[in-house]
Amino acid sequence: MKRLGIALLLCAAAGSAAAQVGSYAERFASVCAACHGAQGVSTQALTPTLAGQPSFYAITQLFLFRDGRRDNVVMSAVAKGMSDDDLRGFSEAIAALPAPPPPAAPADPQRFERGAALAQRLHCTACHGADLAGGKQVPRLAGQREDYLLHALQGFRAAKRVGYGPAMTEALAGTTPEQLEDLAHHLAHAGAAGARP
Amino acid sequence: MPTSLSLLRRRVWAAATLAAFAVGGFAQQAAEEPFWAKGRPKTDTAMKMAPVPAFPIPTAADKLPIAKMKLPPGFKAEVWASGILDARGLREGDKGTVFVSSLFVAGKIYAVVDKGGKREVKTIAEKLFLPNGIEFSKGSLYVATPKDITRYDNIEASLDSPPKPVMVYDKLPGEVPHGWKFIKLGPDGKLYVPIGAPCNICDPSADFAKIVKMNLDGSGVETVAVGVRNTVGFDFDPKDGSLWFTNNGRDWLSEDLPNDSLNHVTQPGKQHFGFPYCHQGDFADPEFGWGKNCNDYAKPALLTGPHAGTLGMRFYNGKMFPSQYQGAIFIARHGPWNRSQKYAADIVVAWPDGKGGIAKMEPFLTGLVENNEYLGRPVDVLVMKDGSLLVSDDHNGAIYRISYAK
Repeated sequence: MKRLGIALLLCAAAGSAAAQVGSYAERFASVCAACHGAQGVSTQALTPTLAGQPSFYAITQLFLFRDGRRDNVVMSAVAKGMSDDDLRGFSEAIAALPAPPPPAAPADPQRFERGAALAQRLHCTACHGADLAGGKQVPRLAGQREDYLLHALQGFRAAKRVGYGPAMTEALAGTTPEQLEDLAHHLAHAGAAGARP
Repeated sequence: MPTSLSLLRRRVWAAATLAAFAVGGFAQQAAEEPFWAKGRPKTDTAMKMAPVPAFPIPTAADKLPIAKMKLPPGFKAEVWASGILDARGLREGDKGTVFVSSLFVAGKIYAVVDKGGKREVKTIAEKLFLPNGIEFSKGSLYVATPKDITRYDNIEASLDSPPKPVMVYDKLPGEVPHGWKFIKLGPDGKLYVPIGAPCNICDPSADFAKIVKMNLDGSGVETVAVGVRNTVGFDFDPKDGSLWFTNNGRDWLSEDLPNDSLNHVTQPGKQHFGFPYCHQGDFADPEFGWGKNCNDYAKPALLTGPHAGTLGMRFYNGKMFPSQYQGAIFIARHGPWNRSQKYAADIVVAWPDGKGGIAKMEPFLTGLVENNEYLGRPVDVLVMKDGSLLVSDDHNGAIYRISYAK
């Protein structure tokens, strides 16, 4: 709850500031970086890395949080205080951050390969791209935190996270909890140059 | 009464459970690609193309691309209403209210009311499941989703406290692919409802790829046309009451084939318009076209461009535009998502030749494609009582008014 309080406080400060184009990189550093990391590379459990996300994806998620259609107590509170200009400004600042580095810890070869087979079967690259860098409304997966990927996959699999429609829930139909763990491990390590074990 | 969203979730759950049952234990079996990606070539260029939703923030009125729009001499475009997220279908009520539908980005129905030259936008329904289809008749607003049609009675008198919707018809298939509707009241007093193919390309059951009509209470469903892949726009010829409809051609065959089309129903209930066997009247499908002859199917009246996203259309019967536009058809083209070179995102006008076909098509409102990006994406057109033409733009969440003065 302490974190939520800080986020709300920062959010209130952000909301009252004049919407200046170009200042959103600084506002990102003061408002978002506390949880999502400096330069948008997260070091916090279950908190996504935002670096390298397409602006369309970022603004869509902020919109869904603000509209009460994506559920996260901190982000919903932060987004509720944002104007349309804030949504545009923050999403463009996020898209301008350099792509994240590959994970520090090497992949487990067996889990990586099991996840790779699953990713192929589920056609992850059909939307997320061969390099898993995403594009437009589709998120980058390459370089994302493994624990957050697993959390997101579980949310989609259980139809708790819906977004605009059931596409992800349908894509994950029939997967087991263990398979989602392998998939998250694979996605976290795939797409990054030299990460393949 | 469960909300549409909870129904959607339940449907998703059912689908997930069924799929788990179907593929459980067959971990090596390939899962299905997303429906829109089926048939996509595995080339790098094609693999980067995907449908793009409407932007989640409406464009501010002073940033709308009015200055970019090109129209024939004497015509003028202006912003009629802005700040309408995901603005799609347009219908005018008896008292001048303009009703606006939306798709999955907003999931809302709006009412726009003119207050002394300023437009006020009210949300009259929300959290709906792809509520693209609307029609106004005898004081009631009809709203069609992929699964049902409901009715809001005496709506113009109760915009600030809309009534609970009455169920009209709840037996639509509910499939998401090509499931969202365009609905319209025919001159015979029936409600015309399309049921699109649940796929990019497939040979669907007789429940799909057709246009049906029904009484306003949902009874007496009859088939009007079959072999229709996906129509999101149609209107009735003021001369003889016959149905004309736009159709979206299949995806991925190539950059330039097949075309979308404008079609004319001259024998209701008896014509097959080709899907999935024959596209654009002269091109047999590479898979489903084997053994089929395009001459066995009704031909389109007009080709409207490959992957153009040909959507809303309306015959012009207003008094404002020059006489040459009387009886002409204004057609909105959304612009392609699965084509490298973007084009269309415009309004074209087509003139019937008086013999059941189309004499010519010309650009009308253009200028919304720049640097291979869309500045706006027209969805529907509406001829207002004063003869001006409204155009909805879901990309910008706005409605434009086209007027004419000598």
